[in-house]
Amino acid sequence: MAVLQKKSKVSDEIPSSSMADIAFLLLIFFLVTTVFPKDKGLAIVLPEPNAEDQEINPKNLMFFLVQPDGRIQIKRGESEQLQTIEANAVEATWRQDYSQNENLIAVVQTHPEAAYRHMINVLDGLQTAGADKISLQVQEGG
Amino acid sequence: MSIKGGGFNRKSSASDKIPDSSLADIAFLLLIFFMVTTVFRTDKEQDIIWPQAEATEKIDEKRDDILNVWMTQAGEIFINDQPIQMSQVSPLVAPLYVETDQRLVVSIRSDREVPYRLIDEMQEQLKAAGVVRVVFATELEQRMTRARR
Repeated sequence: MAVLQKKSKVSDEIPSSSMADIAFLLLIFFLVTTVFPKDKGLAIVLPEPNAEDQEINPKNLMFFLVQPDGRIQIKRGESEQLQTIEANAVEATWRQDYSQNENLIAVVQTHPEAAYRHMINVLDGLQTAGADKISLQVQEGG
Repeated sequence: MSIKGGGFNRKSSASDKIPDSSLADIAFLLLIFFMVTTVFRTDKEQDIIWPQAEATEKIDEKRDDILNVWMTQAGEIFINDQPIQMSQVSPLVAPLYVETDQRLVVSIRSDREVPYRLIDEMQEQLKAAGVVRVVFATELEQRMTRARR
């Protein structure tokens, strides 16, 4: 019994002086290995593989033709008239036309040789304006 | 009238030690932040210039359900660090789509100068694989950097 009562000389505290060192070591490890996720972009939904073609009244269509040099031309419905607009005018143009026809569908027809970013500019303008019915096409025949 | 000793000899009662008792707390706080935000296993970033868009939105999808398809300016395509041909995209993506119970979202990470022809072919490939949810990965464009809309 006497043995048990003898006080131990060993400290009963967990040594914490190196805690900061351990924490910093781990911190540096995570600092170095961290990659911040970059999941951002313009979301679209492609049509189903064997979706049926739908008949759409041409007057509900608004074409955005993206040319290789980045020019954007708009064509409304059946009219053959082309109107060249600036990339930053897409949003306002869409808003204006959409306010007159709620069934309007945006058709982005990009030239095969046009740079991706020109198409993104138009898509950006449309999505900023809140367009949800957007069709992405490539110009036939180049 | 002169100040004794030039006024410089008086000892300050403030401690000249930087208080370090909260150092560990600060370190742990940072540590926890980085532990939470760290994601291991990502594919290597290819060298591309991102297109910019104002309507850029965050994709709220589990990381395991996002597949990155890289398209470089030279026209190369990379999926999971492997260079592949355009015609192989569909056969490669289709089984992945089934594996994820059709939750797969494909993020097209293309250089901004890539001709649209390739982007269109990519969309056709993805369509053939049944993947309908696609994201054009973009960088957020600040309204300030753009001439007034």
